[in-house]
Amino acid sequence: MNNRRIILPGEKIADGKVSAPGAFVQGEATFAAVIGMMDEEGRFIPLERKYRPIVDDTVVGMVTDARHAGYDVELNLPDVGFIPSRDIRLKLELGDFVVCRIREVSEVGQVDLGEVRRLPKGKIIEFPPAKVPRLIGKKMSMITMLKENVGDIIVGNNGYVWISEKADVPLAIKVIKMIDEGAHFPGLTDRVAALFGKERTGE
Amino acid sequence: MASSVSEVRMVVDGKRMDGRSPEDLRPVRIEAGILHEADGSAFVEWGGNKILCGVYGPRECIPRFAASPYRALVKCRYMMSPFASLEEHSRSGPSRRSTELSKVIREVFENLVISEKFPNTQIDIYIDVLQADGGTRTASITAAAVALANAGIPMRDMVAAVAVGKADGQLLVDLGKAEDNFGQSDTPVAFSGRDKDILLLQMDGLLTKDELLRAIDMAQAATESIHDLQADALRRFYEQPSQKKFKM
Repeated sequence: MNNRRIILPGEKIADGKVSAPGAFVQGEATFAAVIGMMDEEGRFIPLERKYRPIVDDTVVGMVTDARHAGYDVELNLPDVGFIPSRDIRLKLELGDFVVCRIREVSEVGQVDLGEVRRLPKGKIIEFPPAKVPRLIGKKMSMITMLKENVGDIIVGNNGYVWISEKADVPLAIKVIKMIDEGAHFPGLTDRVAALFGKERTGE
Repeated sequence: MASSVSEVRMVVDGKRMDGRSPEDLRPVRIEAGILHEADGSAFVEWGGNKILCGVYGPRECIPRFAASPYRALVKCRYMMSPFASLEEHSRSGPSRRSTELSKVIREVFENLVISEKFPNTQIDIYIDVLQADGGTRTASITAAAVALANAGIPMRDMVAAVAVGKADGQLLVDLGKAEDNFGQSDTPVAFSGRDKDILLLQMDGLLTKDELLRAIDMAQAATESIHDLQADALRRFYEQPSQKKFKM
């Protein structure tokens, strides 16, 4: 773990009131609510998290119900998201993969979706939501590299990753697995770049 | 306290039947994240106890009318396997005992889980006792805390539990099955990690006020080392590249 310490739920992570994902404030200090670790800059990084919907997040999902009023979309959440049909012209069918933006989250966690785009044939895999920032990378570096090397991939903040049928699916899965396993070790981008280099010379 | 109860000698020359001193715990081994399909899991081997815990959620609350728009419901199901102990536990369905234990364990975690973040949902804690050797409720709480941390469910604190009891007229930490069955008292206590809040306190049999206060102090000292074991288990799991939660 490169001497970065694992933080347990309930451990103090800052003296003042700090707002951070996976943390809570009690009295005059901030504590970890989930298991995580501290990075070099002293920020708390959750290692394990449930996806919580936030307005403007990009999410990938699957249509599970089509009604007159709209569509239900499975989003890796306790409840399905909803696409109102008056907002979209496109006709969706059960089992369609879609990428949308979260338009509204009600106080009981009901999600309304907008900016819907139907995805062509492909595959959806589940990725730990806590590690999605690593899959995207700083300034989208990781996902850009993935797209250049394997083809079309869309990462939802909810942890669903869509891989196009036309992409190199086995290679994409191999790399995403590598990112999952190495998400909390430094030098990940270099290792992924090295893997792509090897794949290219191997061909 | 009637001395006739202590006809069976359970402490001789400061040593207990299994050779422990009164403050010693049995050997405890904790493993985190051992089930692939559960959101979080843990296995605890505590003396002769073997306990498996799986955690799911937050997920859709069933039945829906029971859901709360203010918080996630914490549900707990403690179950003893038919082959868990000397007496057969037959079909291991709900019994008076398992219902009570499910309730007290649920109440421990209702006080720890930050459930307000997940309205209209439920969090399930499933505890299976594969082998019982006295002190399954404390071992179950210890396992469930690790499993919840492994599932990424936000908690205010960790929790560990241990029983302190009286056998042969002496206060003993972490009673074994014989000490529990033939002793004068069994007092399980659960302590949170940071604030040292008491989240569970039951007393089977009798202790004087003075003995109870001493028992609580002994339990607190003992839970410190269990907290360390829980932390170790989680560190071991997260310091290796993770093998789970990658589904296709």
